[in-house]
Amino acid sequence: MEKYLYIALFAPLASSLFAALFGMSPKKMFVGVIASILLGISFLASVVLALYVNQTGEGIHVTMMEWIGAGDLLVPFGFLVDQVSVTMMVVVTLVSTVVHIYSIGYMDHDKSFNRFFSYLSAFVFSMLVLVMSDNFAGLFIGWEGVGVCSWLLIGFWYHKPDVSVEENPSISPSWAANEAFIVNRIADLGMLVGIFILFWNTGSLQYDVVFAQIPHLSEAVLVAAATALFIGAMGKSAQFPLHTWLTDAMEGPTPVSALIHAATMVTAGVFLVIRANPIFMVTPDVSYFIAALGTFVAFFAASMALVNRDLKRIIAYSTLSQLGYMFAAAGLGAYWIALFHLAAHAFFKALLFLGAGNVMHAMHDELDIFKMGGLKKSMRWTYIYMGVASLALAGIPPLAGFFSKDAIIETAFNEGRLILWAILVLTAGMTAFYSFRQVFLTFEGDRRYEEFGIHPHEMYKFVLIAMAPLAILAVIAGFFQSAFHSFITQLLPNYEMSAHTHHLVWILGAIVLAFAVGGIALAWIKYSKGLKRSEKVENGFLYKLLKNQYYIPKFYADFISKPYAMISELLWKSVDMKIVDATVDGIARLLYNGGDSARKMQTGNLSNNLNWMGVGLVSLLLVATITALIG
Amino acid sequence: MIGLSHYLILSGLLFAIGLVGILRRKNLLMLFFATEVMLNAANVAFAATSHYYGDLTGQMFAFFIIAIAASEVAIGLGLLIVLYKKTGTLDLDNLATMKG
Amino acid sequence: MDNILSILVFFPLIAGVLGFVVDKKSIRVYGISVAIVEFLLSLWLWSSFDGNNPGMQFVELVPLIPDFGINYYLGVDGISLFIVIMTALMTLLGMIAISIERDIKNLILSLLFLEMAMVGVFVSLDAIIFYLFWEFSLVPMLYIIGAWGGPLRIYASIKFFLYTFTGSLIMLVGMLFMAYLYQSVSGVWSFSITDWYALVLPVNYQLWLFVAFFLGFAIKVPMFPFHTWLPYAHGQAPTIGSVILAAVLLKMGTYGFVRFSLPLFPDASVMMIMPIATISIIMIIYTAMVAYAQEDIKQVIAYSSVSHMGVIVLGTFAMNAEGVSGSIFLMLSHGIVSGALFLLVGVIYDRRHTKLMSEFGGLASVMPKFAVIFGFMLMASVGLPLTIGFVGEFLVLLGFYHLSPIVTILAGTTIILGAVYMLTLYKRTFFGPVTNEENKKLNDLDGKEMIALVPLVLIVVWLGIYPKPVLEPIDNSVKSLLTFMEKKAQTPLAKEKITLSQTSKEAE
Repeated sequence: MEKYLYIALFAPLASSLFAALFGMSPKKMFVGVIASILLGISFLASVVLALYVNQTGEGIHVTMMEWIGAGDLLVPFGFLVDQVSVTMMVVVTLVSTVVHIYSIGYMDHDKSFNRFFSYLSAFVFSMLVLVMSDNFAGLFIGWEGVGVCSWLLIGFWYHKPDVSVEENPSISPSWAANEAFIVNRIADLGMLVGIFILFWNTGSLQYDVVFAQIPHLSEAVLVAAATALFIGAMGKSAQFPLHTWLTDAMEGPTPVSALIHAATMVTAGVFLVIRANPIFMVTPDVSYFIAALGTFVAFFAASMALVNRDLKRIIAYSTLSQLGYMFAAAGLGAYWIALFHLAAHAFFKALLFLGAGNVMHAMHDELDIFKMGGLKKSMRWTYIYMGVASLALAGIPPLAGFFSKDAIIETAFNEGRLILWAILVLTAGMTAFYSFRQVFLTFEGDRRYEEFGIHPHEMYKFVLIAMAPLAILAVIAGFFQSAFHSFITQLLPNYEMSAHTHHLVWILGAIVLAFAVGGIALAWIKYSKGLKRSEKVENGFLYKLLKNQYYIPKFYADFISKPYAMISELLWKSVDMKIVDATVDGIARLLYNGGDSARKMQTGNLSNNLNWMGVGLVSLLLVATITALIG
Repeated sequence: MIGLSHYLILSGLLFAIGLVGILRRKNLLMLFFATEVMLNAANVAFAATSHYYGDLTGQMFAFFIIAIAASEVAIGLGLLIVLYKKTGTLDLDNLATMKG
Repeated sequence: MDNILSILVFFPLIAGVLGFVVDKKSIRVYGISVAIVEFLLSLWLWSSFDGNNPGMQFVELVPLIPDFGINYYLGVDGISLFIVIMTALMTLLGMIAISIERDIKNLILSLLFLEMAMVGVFVSLDAIIFYLFWEFSLVPMLYIIGAWGGPLRIYASIKFFLYTFTGSLIMLVGMLFMAYLYQSVSGVWSFSITDWYALVLPVNYQLWLFVAFFLGFAIKVPMFPFHTWLPYAHGQAPTIGSVILAAVLLKMGTYGFVRFSLPLFPDASVMMIMPIATISIIMIIYTAMVAYAQEDIKQVIAYSSVSHMGVIVLGTFAMNAEGVSGSIFLMLSHGIVSGALFLLVGVIYDRRHTKLMSEFGGLASVMPKFAVIFGFMLMASVGLPLTIGFVGEFLVLLGFYHLSPIVTILAGTTIILGAVYMLTLYKRTFFGPVTNEENKKLNDLDGKEMIALVPLVLIVVWLGIYPKPVLEPIDNSVKSLLTFMEKKAQTPLAKEKITLSQTSKEAE
């Protein structure tokens, strides 16, 4: 089985290196094809591993070689395939394979076609390292690796110039890429600190060793470690207040958004909490904070999605919101439900993004949904895909989202966190509304694009076929809930609803469903017949607040970036040059000037010299006398 | 009774006079004289202490100094004459070729 | 090859002297061949080095002035071995990349003399010999900056010389006092460091001596607030000068801490942890911010050097094997990465004769290979895992966390601030549209530049993925160093702070 592990892990790396060979040459179709095939192989190997783990019920653990060894620290390249990581592997490789095939069509006309595949496969490799590592340092390799790939891919169209914030909230792809990297680095520091805490208290970074030590650790240590690790998770999963980079990351090509910023990388934070669940289980305060923050983000992001006009940004907000759901579940102890939602979300969200990519492709990179409408005629399949994905996202039975999201909301109720429950239910309604607002504005109503002279066309056939697995999974993934439950709880702690909740499950489900259907209905009434804009609403305070993302990006720009630049400038020009360096030069100048004035003694006049000699004589005598008197 | 201290005081006074001459005089010839005065001040001190201790070494030293002073005058005055011929002056303020 | 160290030290010198008769046209080939031989010799040294022996190897001892205990005394251990190899490597690659035509002969010969001095510093075990090489290394560098530098070259080179010279004079006084103390205790004079190690000094003497040595090393590192010579030196030096300066000369300071300060004055070192950590944090944060404000690409990298040296100094005083080994590994990785970055800046300077970021933009479209290698080194510089930069930085921060979590978190901001200035630099230079007409026709890296840069890329990946061959000998020597310090320490504070690893404890 180890063979399959290495195939699954290294096929994407091989793909990336192969594509990199042609990175600077013009488009070569075979690069995309071979990359997709290698990713497919990786997927198949992951499936084989999943079946094996399912059959035997035990994981595969290999240690490839030693990485860092110094003092007492010993970090190997070790890989662990157990129920959790194999789930992630299957999800990651499946979505990646689809996205790779999709990209052959989507990046069709891009001159950097080969480079794109190199980055994309490198990302998959990093992500697999992240999920498969058997220790925290290995996880950190993947953690940073996906960060870099994300940086490369967001900034893929690096040649675009910077524009003002009013014109494009993300300024430029390269700006958005840097923002994403730097914000993630802030969180990574937290993650590193978590790693340090664990190392100095357990003497190892291996998951099994660390988790075995937990009963011997003091509560303060555990709380510190859990907090630090969660700060790391907040960055990668774009939780408040480190969330701004995710929407800006939409500057990247759409397949990237589908793969990295919806299905896989952003869920790494959730994965970390699930992976390190023994730590979080014994720190209920931190866990509750995670749940509360997750719920807040779910609502907060959904509210911003309500008014946004950018096709991709709406989906990005919804990703943010769903990540909030996952954290809520993980924070409440329902780790398997979080993982289930993670997987289901990956399928329908990737599908949604890829559908959005089709629309962009058809609309010549136009993203404003106010300029679309009535696309259902020309893009029937895309409409169906996006409709299915949105239904799944809204949680309409029997689609995947219903099972997974409903379980999270139920968990909140079951834990007695009624406020969280209420917010999550409300958010479910908002989710349904903004998803279908987007779908209806894009596909229904009048054809507003015509005035811009665009002639939309459906995506290539093979791309549509490649998207089908995601669509099917978005529909049927929910039916595997109980199978998944029994599979995953071999490793993760079980979480069952209490009898009381079980009793009420129909009512709870009905409430959520009512909100979801209500949201869709509202969207249908408002937007299916075309776009009706109201000046009054759009100039209202709330609308503006939401539209400007609660002014948080502006706040960051005005109170962090600009002061930082100003202080840096000040430190350089005033402190470094005018104080530190000037002091050094001042001492030098003092010596120089001292020498210069002392030089005047050398008049060359013997009489003066003799006078100075006399002075020297007298002072030496004085010194001698004084020392004689003292000593 | 004239004791050792009187001689030493005389020697000190002579030395001081010589020193002041060196510091204040501007003419090289006068500087020469001042140095001679200082040397002789040392001679007086040597001779007096030598007598006081009954040790002849000091007086021998005085002779040495006289010999050195004589040779110094011989060479020094020769140099002064050459200098005077070259520059036409022995005033120190006009001789500042070593100005830094 | 019993005298391999002498050969390593004096081969460049002899070759340099012989080089005076070499024809001007063939001097470049001559210099490169000498550097290759020197590099191969250093590799041979590595191959015959016993990685499990933490002590001094290849020791040579010839008495020079027996009355004063001054000996010609050389030796390497795991700590110095790799710095020597890196010195030979960077000299070689720097020499390959030279694009200067004017007075090329003098430049090559200066480099060979400089190489002699640098290797000498790292293999000397006698304080006087160490000091001679230490000071001699200033001379060729002064000449390189002063003769081939930019418009402010005279100011920069004099500043470099006088500043570092002042520091090392104070260090010399410390050395003389140390020898005097040794003489008053043992009755014989000795300047050999290994003899000094055996001397247990009272704590107040340790403090004074520590400060004297500290000034010498701190100016060389350079530590805040003694760092201002560096931006001038880098800003004015020709590419080769910057490469050698950043890669090797700065490491002499941190190497000095490990070789002298820690084992000679263990109690004083422990007492000084917090003041030095404070300075290191200022170096890390303050210079990172200053780097962000720079307009000149080379100045950004110069200030980033100071920032990274802060991490190295911090690791040196972590007092555990993780931190100190990490710090030594970081010296190597910083040498390679910053050397490569300076080479890269040199590439663009050769083409445009400017280093201002505002002159560039969109270079990634015009010079893709250049952009890839620059991006690669950038990632190594910000400490991306699986590149050489991560290993050292991770170990240093991990090590220091044991002493002080707060200091570590503050120092850890290096991973954020480093990303801020480096990515800003990269964005302004490589991203965006090509706005400047002059940039549209730039040539990508040529063969010579690729030969100089590709080996560095390979090393960055190799040691990032598999640092063991280098890290293990370092770690062995560091463990024995710490065990020694722990035994020698007198104050309870020092006994408490110096942390031995499990393996060292078991060995006792």
